[in-house]
Amino acid sequence: LADKSVIEHFLAARTEEAFCALFEAVCVRLHRYFLLRGLEAATAEELTQNVMLKVYRQAGELRDAGRFYGWLFAIARNELVSYWRGRQARVSTVGFDELPAEDAGRMAVEHEAAAGLRLTGWLKALDPADRDLVVLRFVEGLSYEELAEALRLPLGTVKWRVFNARKKLSRVINETAGGRARQHVH
Amino acid sequence: MRHGISDQDWNDYVEGRAGEGARDRIETHLTGCLSCWDFYEQMSRTDEALGEAGEEARRQLTLDDRQLHRLLRGTFARMRREQGLPQSQVRGRLTRLETVLTPFCGAQAAARALHAAARHSPASSLDRVTHDNWEPFLERLSVIAAAMCGETFASLVREQGLM
Repeated sequence: LADKSVIEHFLAARTEEAFCALFEAVCVRLHRYFLLRGLEAATAEELTQNVMLKVYRQAGELRDAGRFYGWLFAIARNELVSYWRGRQARVSTVGFDELPAEDAGRMAVEHEAAAGLRLTGWLKALDPADRDLVVLRFVEGLSYEELAEALRLPLGTVKWRVFNARKKLSRVINETAGGRARQHVH
Repeated sequence: MRHGISDQDWNDYVEGRAGEGARDRIETHLTGCLSCWDFYEQMSRTDEALGEAGEEARRQLTLDDRQLHRLLRGTFARMRREQGLPQSQVRGRLTRLETVLTPFCGAQAAARALHAAARHSPASSLDRVTHDNWEPFLERLSVIAAAMCGETFASLVREQGLM
């Protein structure tokens, strides 16, 4: 509910002050989405900023606050696709400057946090498009209507794909649980 | 479809959102079908596990206040930089896009594509394209470029417009 009033206020006022409040409310969700989709912390931060800049600039396109999260994650997903495309297009290798120790430490901690999650392991068994579905549905709690908007798919297709992703994950989770039980016995 | 029950009905039932009719039909079936009962239990366990894993991800992947404010400061710094860019740079980008389009579709079609993209975007005309409405303009131009010369060309246009 707090989020809803912040979103409504931003869409109505579109001031920098309202944007700050919105940023605080939604930034962590975007950042988490990018981490769970396999990005390193620094890239996740950069793409989060890109998305928030677009939200600020393009907010005039959105009238209905109820559609905000579908719209937000549609932008985030486009940003992720552009990032992967850009990465594939780059042919030359780029030398990395040595990172300050503090930043390197922070990045390592955040990357480990995502890598250590059960969900990260399970997601590897799914196609990239289904990973989006699972993260947005089971971590970010998007409704089916919001998922349909974020993924630009018909509602029925979204439901069908969530069901199929659940079936695939069911096998993976069972195997993981079985493996753990066997290790425990030995 | 499993034993006459659609995937969508199974999905709604597992999530506790099935309508009364579908719920009664599935529950009647479950009382007499062991394999569907196993299937239902497996789906429910998966749902529960995903719920727990989602909660774990929300707990672990957070941003502290320092990180949040650093990101916010960075976003505002970028906003200021972009607002401060002179309109001549927008003109420069438009010229570059025209240069990319011309060899593929000819000078006249290139100019028409730029004008059409502006007309059908919030800018409404080419001389009103600014940094603020650049993104939707470029998006529209990419769509036009895709229709004219295909997706690969549209990606090239988009890349040039973002540089």
